[in-house]
Amino acid sequence: MKKILTIGAITIGMIASSCHGKQLATNRISCCPPTGTTAPVTIATTLQAQSSIYQLPGKWTDEHNQSLELRDLKGKVRVIAMIFTHCTYACPRLVQDMKAIADSLPAAEKNKVGFVLVSFDAQRDDPAQLARFASQQGLDDHWTLLHGDPRQIRELSMVLNVKYQDAGDNTYTHSNAILILDKQGSVIRSLEGLEAQTSVADNEINRLVNR
Amino acid sequence: MKLPAVSILIIFFLLPPVSSHAQVEAPRPVAAHGQVHTEMIRIPAGKFQPFLLAADQKHERHVAAFLLGQHAVTNAEFLQFVKANPQWRRSSVPRLFADNNYLSQWAGDENIGNAAIRRSPVTNISWFAANAYCKWLGKRLPSLDEWEYAAAARPENADPGADLSRIILGWYDHPTPAILPAVESTYRNTLGLWDMHGLIWEWVDDFNSVMLQGGNFYCAAGSAGTANKADYAAYMRYAFRESLQATYTVGSLGFRCAQDIK
Repeated sequence: MKKILTIGAITIGMIASSCHGKQLATNRISCCPPTGTTAPVTIATTLQAQSSIYQLPGKWTDEHNQSLELRDLKGKVRVIAMIFTHCTYACPRLVQDMKAIADSLPAAEKNKVGFVLVSFDAQRDDPAQLARFASQQGLDDHWTLLHGDPRQIRELSMVLNVKYQDAGDNTYTHSNAILILDKQGSVIRSLEGLEAQTSVADNEINRLVNR
Repeated sequence: MKLPAVSILIIFFLLPPVSSHAQVEAPRPVAAHGQVHTEMIRIPAGKFQPFLLAADQKHERHVAAFLLGQHAVTNAEFLQFVKANPQWRRSSVPRLFADNNYLSQWAGDENIGNAAIRRSPVTNISWFAANAYCKWLGKRLPSLDEWEYAAAARPENADPGADLSRIILGWYDHPTPAILPAVESTYRNTLGLWDMHGLIWEWVDDFNSVMLQGGNFYCAAGSAGTANKADYAAYMRYAFRESLQATYTVGSLGFRCAQDIK
């Protein structure tokens, strides 16, 4: 315990001193507020290319009631977020932000990028509800909506580093992140917070599509 | 000792190691679980006041009856799991599932080495490894609520006036010993569970449900309030959990398994 505290204290010292200069090159959320912004911080964290999340086993069901595994998502750059369709506040924003990214892609990239929404709500977001939601939101066949069991959802949240809590009454408190995965399924970038970062996403997607 | 809570949160910033690619399979079920037999204690249903409350949460939550391991999983028990599931060896585990400190207290892939730690809680294991171990036995990790509820039971031989949070804070005051004591070496609580405080921290299934910070992190609920601002020990546990990621391994962090009652 004390060791952790000591390491923590040392680390905070290092981070504090590096905050004055250039942006921290870290694959954790930076403690340094971006310069020139006073609004709540939107953190675009470049995550080091790590192992593929497609290593997670388990079957999911999409909005067409088709069974699939995460590794079936391989081959395209993926933009992914975890939501629940009955969410009234943050999730609509996340979906809007993802739609903005989808709309801004150059024609040449559109078929090389897929958008994925995974629901926290295993109980109510069954494939039929996901299909309804897709239709309400005008999500075309570049989108995949996934229903899974609570165990899988928790495991996926762990590899995506999305925090969530079942707050009771089928509502979920959760961190807001849009993640960009390379064609092999490694999380390359996490766009956190509730502000559209369309151009950041576009640049990253462009780089990954052509890699 | 005054513990700067912020420094706990800072583990968040410790960088994970550079990754390597490897394919991993789900743990394969094994008929013979060797010597892995931990007594499961029946925890009766009851009400529980969570330490952290989201704005729209009820102040009391009901915990259904469940089974919980009498003690934390030991190095010797975890070795059986690794032998049966070689993808969880130190040299094989993908970085997606554990950082490079995984099982660093062992002498080798299937070799604990130091006999003195065989019955000590296994630590330096990631959430993924703990989760896989419990699954292998047809069990699961306890939920945060289940764990907190079970851990709130008093030591069975405590003085009538003894304060559990004092006992816990006394533990926080001491550094983790180089060699962790064996399980069943601290105290047993009135439910029959050993070492719920005082030996190690323990993973819970939904540790990533803890969100202490306010701001734009949240969806529906807004920032969470604390039910009992004086419970510093609980604050430490929640802050520690919030600072974790599922791949992290820590020398004082282990786990025990839970099970539904069929």
